[in-house]
Amino acid sequence: MRWLGHIFVWTVAFLVALPFIWMAYAAFIPPEVVFSGDIFGQLGFSLANFEVLGRDGFWEGFWGRLLFSVLLTGTVTLLQLTTGFLAAYAIKEGARLLPFFLVLLAIPVELLLVPLYGLLLGLNILDSIWALVLPFAASPFIVFLLFQGMRTVPEELLEAARLDGAGHRILLTRILLPLLRPQLIAAGVLAFAAHWNLVLYPRIMAGSDELKTVQTWITDLQRQNPADWGPLSAAALAATLPLIIIFLLYERRIVETFEEGLKG
Amino acid sequence: MGRNSAHWFALPAVGLLGLFLLYPFLDVLRFSTWDWTGLSEPEVIGLENYHNILRDPDFYNSLRITLIFGVMTLIPFVIFSILLALALDGQPYERPLKALLFLPGLVTLGGATVAWYTLFSPEYGALASVFPIPRWDQSPFWALVLIMLFTIWRHIGYGVLVVSARLKSIPKTLLEAAAVDGATAAQAFRHITLPLLRPAITFLVVIGTVLSLQSYTAVFLLTRGGPFGGTEVLGYFLYKTGFEVGRLGYAAALTVIILVLTLAFALAQARLLREEK
Repeated sequence: MRWLGHIFVWTVAFLVALPFIWMAYAAFIPPEVVFSGDIFGQLGFSLANFEVLGRDGFWEGFWGRLLFSVLLTGTVTLLQLTTGFLAAYAIKEGARLLPFFLVLLAIPVELLLVPLYGLLLGLNILDSIWALVLPFAASPFIVFLLFQGMRTVPEELLEAARLDGAGHRILLTRILLPLLRPQLIAAGVLAFAAHWNLVLYPRIMAGSDELKTVQTWITDLQRQNPADWGPLSAAALAATLPLIIIFLLYERRIVETFEEGLKG
Repeated sequence: MGRNSAHWFALPAVGLLGLFLLYPFLDVLRFSTWDWTGLSEPEVIGLENYHNILRDPDFYNSLRITLIFGVMTLIPFVIFSILLALALDGQPYERPLKALLFLPGLVTLGGATVAWYTLFSPEYGALASVFPIPRWDQSPFWALVLIMLFTIWRHIGYGVLVVSARLKSIPKTLLEAAAVDGATAAQAFRHITLPLLRPAITFLVVIGTVLSLQSYTAVFLLTRGGPFGGTEVLGYFLYKTGFEVGRLGYAAALTVIILVLTLAFALAQARLLREEK
């Protein structure tokens, strides 16, 4: 029985990993091998696919879009962590807002494209950088995650600091910030991935070229040249690698934070 | 300094979420009474949009596809989550494999679909040279299967985590006692483990339902609703009507209907959960 379990697990693991393995392999296939059709018959290694990515110039090309997306999503992540951290602190200090955030957590954001479009149009920020930042500057999920972390901080610790004359600023930066590092990292990675993976939203709300995210750039390339695997895979790999590296660095914390959240 | 002054720290989050989440959520009702393309002056037409949706064959077709897709995705998602969590439990490779299973949910969506597309494309996909790939570009059924596999691939790690967290809370002594009493492994699983896993399974069903309702991004990236509209799940139908056809008022009414359906479903499941307790 036991060996059946091993085989099952490793088969699934291989199938789950297959797209990643393929992505890494296809990114370095020499172009002539792709066109010959015999992709597994002859092995080759080439960086030509990555060179193609830069041909449209820096800012309009892949690398510029990658940099833009990293900066954009990084900013949004920092904003979400800041607003979430402050709100979690307010709740811990007795603000009765937890039900408010829990109700918001139940709203499926993915279905609000139409009213958000109307709102951004009314605010006159459609097709501007604000459309990609402001609606994501706070997240009920991050508030909840950070509040769960703050709940584990003993009240006596904060009380003692307060008796020593510490204000909010000291409490937040000197005590809570270091104590909540694991939760902040996990929440940050999840927030980053969520914003990074928006596909339809940026297309609708900020479609102009200078606001194009790497996600939109790859999707457009796939639509134009669906058979041109090499550059497509190179772009997919380069856009995915940063997330894989961040995840592998903090994998234990992320999985643990999730498991903690599931117990609660 | 009063403790209550700390309450002000919630202001940025409350303000932003109030404006960009709660307000649009309520405002959609107003848009749903408009005849509006986004560019034109809106014209108030009362409940006509709702009236038209309920007579729209495309809507019912999309509803049907969503239900089929939901059931098709949910069952293997739940079964695989349980089987994998059980098989992984206590193995030396449990942690790295859980991390691997979790990875697809975080990586760049557009990159992931590129990898899937170049692997599984029936015409020039890499696997097509090894064995024949079903023509999902021509058969709506196989297109749904592709979206289903992609959706499960992305979320299986989370499913395993849910079951595994529950599994770890089952006291080992319970199973040892059963073994002492002469129960076989299969009996112990059937009468002890499975009943104790029920809350986790119910939770998986709820999560899985929500995820399959939101899977329209994968539809956009892999099949664009095709072939022959065979993968037009409700979310994609909403996107297409609103932003490709440009009927925003109609799409707003559609949003309301989908929200009501989701809510009804969630309430029914919440009741199920309560009955179990």
